[in-house]
Amino acid sequence: MKLYDYVLSPSCYKARLMAALTGVKLDIRPVDFHPGAEHRGPELMALNPAGSIPILEDGDLVLTESSAMLVYLAAKAAPQWLGNDTALQAARVQQWLSFSHRLTGSLGAARLHEMLLRPGDIATLHGQGIAALRELEAGLVEQHIRGQRFLASDRPTIADVACFPYVALAPDGGVSLDPYPAIRLWSRAIRSLEGFIEMPGIHRLHELKPEPVLEAGEA
Amino acid sequence: MTRNAMIDEWYPVGLAGRLDTHERQTALMGEPIGVRLGADGNAKVTGSNGRALPVCIRYGHVWSSLGDPQKALFAIPEADQPGRRLVDVGVVRVRCSPLRAVENFLDIAHFPFVHTDILGAEPHTEVPNYKVEIREDEDEVWATQVKFYQPQAAKSAEGGITTEYMYRVPAPTCSILYKTCPPRPGEWDVITLFVQPLAEDLCDVWPWMALFDDETSMADLIHFQQTIFLQDRSILENQIPRLLPLDPGMEIPTRADLTSVAYRRWLKRHGYTYGAQLVAQ
Amino acid sequence: MLPYPSGSWMPVALSADLPAGTVMPAQTPVGPIALWRSRSGRAAAFADRCPHRGMRLSRGFVRGEALSCIYHGWSYAQAGNCLRIPAHPGLTPPETIGVATQPVEDSGGIIWISVGEPTARPPRFDGLAPLRSMIVEAGIAALEAAAGTKADGGLLDYAQNAQTLRLLLTPQGKARTLMHVLVDEGTGPAKRIAASRAAETLRRTAEDILRSDVAQ
Repeated sequence: MKLYDYVLSPSCYKARLMAALTGVKLDIRPVDFHPGAEHRGPELMALNPAGSIPILEDGDLVLTESSAMLVYLAAKAAPQWLGNDTALQAARVQQWLSFSHRLTGSLGAARLHEMLLRPGDIATLHGQGIAALRELEAGLVEQHIRGQRFLASDRPTIADVACFPYVALAPDGGVSLDPYPAIRLWSRAIRSLEGFIEMPGIHRLHELKPEPVLEAGEA
Repeated sequence: MTRNAMIDEWYPVGLAGRLDTHERQTALMGEPIGVRLGADGNAKVTGSNGRALPVCIRYGHVWSSLGDPQKALFAIPEADQPGRRLVDVGVVRVRCSPLRAVENFLDIAHFPFVHTDILGAEPHTEVPNYKVEIREDEDEVWATQVKFYQPQAAKSAEGGITTEYMYRVPAPTCSILYKTCPPRPGEWDVITLFVQPLAEDLCDVWPWMALFDDETSMADLIHFQQTIFLQDRSILENQIPRLLPLDPGMEIPTRADLTSVAYRRWLKRHGYTYGAQLVAQ
Repeated sequence: MLPYPSGSWMPVALSADLPAGTVMPAQTPVGPIALWRSRSGRAAAFADRCPHRGMRLSRGFVRGEALSCIYHGWSYAQAGNCLRIPAHPGLTPPETIGVATQPVEDSGGIIWISVGEPTARPPRFDGLAPLRSMIVEAGIAALEAAAGTKADGGLLDYAQNAQTLRLLLTPQGKARTLMHVLVDEGTGPAKRIAASRAAETLRRTAEDILRSDVAQ
């Protein structure tokens, strides 16, 4: 499976993270998104006329929507991540998968504006981003009351992977995460998962490892 | 306000390779400026009242100044050496002082915590003594014999090595890092940080590299350097105060910070204080 | 008069939002703090700035009984003294290196900070259990108008759908309030979810009131 990837793109990171969490090995093809705008060049436009990345290629299959990539990776390698045990759970997964696109359009656009100088009305994007974070916080509070740590269940699902990147990187776009205790705990739960990988802007949870000590003779 | 000595310095204002007849709006030290490709095929930079600003093209970038530069832009002799690949990494905006961005670039002690498993890793956190000087002839800050454990020196490298670095500050918002180059022992890779001061607490950072590496794809090289810089960005936007404190009581340096100590002393000596905080507030 | 004069307690977070081995940011009248809980469960409050390079300590990490800065790993004990500077593993940090601390009490499910030496114990709310904390982008007056009641001793009653929420309010500047939502102990999940939704409605109403006031 080949991923056309930009290291600073949270949408590309969704696919990388899902693959890491489910143990799938991806063949990474780096795309010079910034400053080269390679995603608008002839090779990638032929693959994805929308001119967006990520693009996931597996044989004849070409996926250009990150939520579809999460479904594909999970269904192939670790179906429990689909979170479709019950009608309620399946609906919650779909609810948050759709919601995740609002995060891209608000927090993601604010980040591109503040970091890579892309155009946008920053006050509006911030307002929409904060509204989305408040909805997510409320949803997580309710899940916590139900005794569940993740968005659709007590286990992580593709819904969590779909929402986590743009939320965790909100500060890159000038949106503080300080006011959201439930989001902080959820983010920490995701970052503590076996196989979790970071992207730039999300630091390693150093506390998961004990204070390292040098062996005698090492320098 | 008195005229700041930094007014007469050269600053990066755009990528030379992406110049366009359509004017790019940006800013330099609080003043709106425009950068475009003129009808004569040369880069034009215009100040707020339409005045033409000085221009030079070097190291992949367009450089300009609000004042009257007394010197040519600093030299990087390695940039003209045959066989090097020149990498335009592209701009990244950071909500911090341009001087804080440079100071972070001069720091190695953060590698294990911020660039974990790339440029450093616990337990290899010790910063051995190195040499720092202000070279009076060139009027530059230099740190040499800087050695640090690097867990993965190259994509192909297995296990860690000790990497040697040299740091050079030839201008208040520019720094050049020389780093040992595994495929070419005896040569140094050149990695630079060119910072465009938009305001005292806001900057556009233009990393640029001149490397001996014939194997890695250009996109991969760009991704690597953007990864490193974006890891730093989340630190830079969370330092308090946002301006670089030149008051010695405000922060606590150790031996590992001697490059930063020399940099701050050099800034103070020249009155390079745009983006600095002189007194504790 | 400051809402929190020297020596009085201020509710900055809910205990459940700060598990052992974690750190979070919080606001106080004397500036931002890094609120953290050691592995063994003890809470502490530090000025939110590492004295080395000014990095916010609330972005750091907790190992064992110490809080470390994310930038260079400098670590601090609960008393605020610097324990370790990783760049110099052999060095015992001088006693002069440390961060300012504030007294903390963790009682009744709420973490309280005292500005200055406390003169008494923090208040208790017997029979009530904390549900969640929220930031409201409006002052206490707008929240009072939205609830139709007056705050008493920092507590505002808000009756909605046959249950009464108790809101513990802390001003953070003129137009921002930290609101802890308390419900009766033993309230079941369905009513707690309803209470959380009611608190969202109250926040929306208070922020609308503030917006229309500003518009006039």
